[in-house]
Amino acid sequence: MHALVDWLLALVALLPLDWLRDGFMRQALVASAIIAPACAMAGVFVVNMRMAFFSDAIAHSAFAGVALGFLLSALNAASVDPRTTMLLVGLLVAAVITLVKRRSDLSTDTIIGVAFSAVIAAGIAIVTATRSTRDFNRYLYGDLLLLDRDDLNAALLLAAFVLAYMVIAFNRLLILAVNPDLARTRGLATRAVDYSFSLLVALLVTVAIRITGILLVTALLVVPAATARNLARSAGQMFWLAAAAGLLAAVGGLYLAYRYEAAAGATIILVATGLFALSLLVGAAKRR
Amino acid sequence: MRIALGGREILSHVDADFVQRGINALIGPNGAGKTTLLRALLGLIPHRGTVEFRTRPDGRMPRLAYVPQRFDFDRGTPITVRDLLCADRQRRPLFLGHARAALRAARDALALVGAERLFQSSLGRLSGGELQRVLVALAMLGDPDVIFLDEPVAGVDIAGEALFCDLLVKLRDQRGVTVILVSHELSIVTQHTDHVVCINDGVVQCQGDTLATLSAANIRRVFGEHSAIYEHGAAQPGAHEAGAAACAHDHHHPHHHAPPPHSDGG
Repeated sequence: MHALVDWLLALVALLPLDWLRDGFMRQALVASAIIAPACAMAGVFVVNMRMAFFSDAIAHSAFAGVALGFLLSALNAASVDPRTTMLLVGLLVAAVITLVKRRSDLSTDTIIGVAFSAVIAAGIAIVTATRSTRDFNRYLYGDLLLLDRDDLNAALLLAAFVLAYMVIAFNRLLILAVNPDLARTRGLATRAVDYSFSLLVALLVTVAIRITGILLVTALLVVPAATARNLARSAGQMFWLAAAAGLLAAVGGLYLAYRYEAAAGATIILVATGLFALSLLVGAAKRR
Repeated sequence: MRIALGGREILSHVDADFVQRGINALIGPNGAGKTTLLRALLGLIPHRGTVEFRTRPDGRMPRLAYVPQRFDFDRGTPITVRDLLCADRQRRPLFLGHARAALRAARDALALVGAERLFQSSLGRLSGGELQRVLVALAMLGDPDVIFLDEPVAGVDIAGEALFCDLLVKLRDQRGVTVILVSHELSIVTQHTDHVVCINDGVVQCQGDTLATLSAANIRRVFGEHSAIYEHGAAQPGAHEAGAAACAHDHHHPHHHAPPPHSDGG
């Protein structure tokens, strides 16, 4: 992983572009160009299985996760990385939502709504109780320009994992997304697919928060995939178009962030939504 | 067999036999629990009691396939008929292309149901009858021994209905498939099935050879006072449950009275 990251950074350094002069910009480009397409690929099923609200709940569980990290650090004196607690809380919340969804007859959005409130309340309560003065902003808005080498390695590892998961699970997820009953009668282990995909989304969301922040991370999964859905005619097309839209948004957004000195996460999502608007027009024209 | 859902007993005592390599109908008025029983036979919902299938010649459990009634899906999802059928057949993820063997199997299955021309169509743009055919093709992909169909001709026009009945006969005669279908359209059941199981009020009211079982008295018992069967063009006043006869085929043909799935009272 380390060598590959080095190689990618060297490659980007070869580009004769002004805005990639600084090392932190090159790191930001590599990270977002890896994570955004990975998010978009998983996003295909977040969109087709209507899991946008689920993804948003996981994003907001970062409030509780980060606060827990602060709390443990304060109690232990030794430092606990909030990134670790954020990831663990995200996975836990994803598992709990999936479990309750499968066991209760409440509608999914009600269950997610409850979990959503619980994690935000827990985050605020912990932070205020510990009188933590540490800054939440980097988690709210992302800190793409402050990534370190560990983040890049983690990003590449995660993207490889997502791709491997998609190779194994894509066809099953597709049948499950069309109709769960049908999937069950076709002999699919729907529970395994359900849980594994929920956990994959949690993993992606908690890592991608570094790019766009809590408030916008769901857009990284949903917007490029929705763009692809407007244009694609087949399942394979939707997958590749989503990845392409994610990549384009990451590169274009980072350039705009440099050009106008705006927050990188926000400009990436702005480009993604711009592409979505275009795809709406093209899709409507194609259907006529 | 007993089935309770949400604390309410849907089926209290069901003891029924179905005919192997025959076309079986599960009939009853709306709300009688036909779909529930079908889903229980498939193992999709919990139930008390047992479902027994005759094992295959190779000693294995028979393969089951299901064609659901209301196939709710998001019609905006970009997926073609080819995608759906191949997704079921191939290991290679669809975004890396369709596998040749899967394509061949998909084409064969579509040919079997007479829907080759839908191969590249978008799943979301199919009509009710077309979708039904594609779902039967999907069900046939796994080379099943028993195929369950829930209200297969609901929402299909008369011509489509006749074609569909032909298809069922083809599956039975050419593939040796046991067909178990749910229907409340008596015309189709009388014209085209070998064996019938009637349920109402959570119990089996009558079962046996279709023509012998569907006496006027039995039909009244299952569907209520004002029900009768009438032939196409010979409409009788007062018949409300039975529709026009679309499947005008010879009913009599040889079949074995060996009972695969047998559900016993629990």
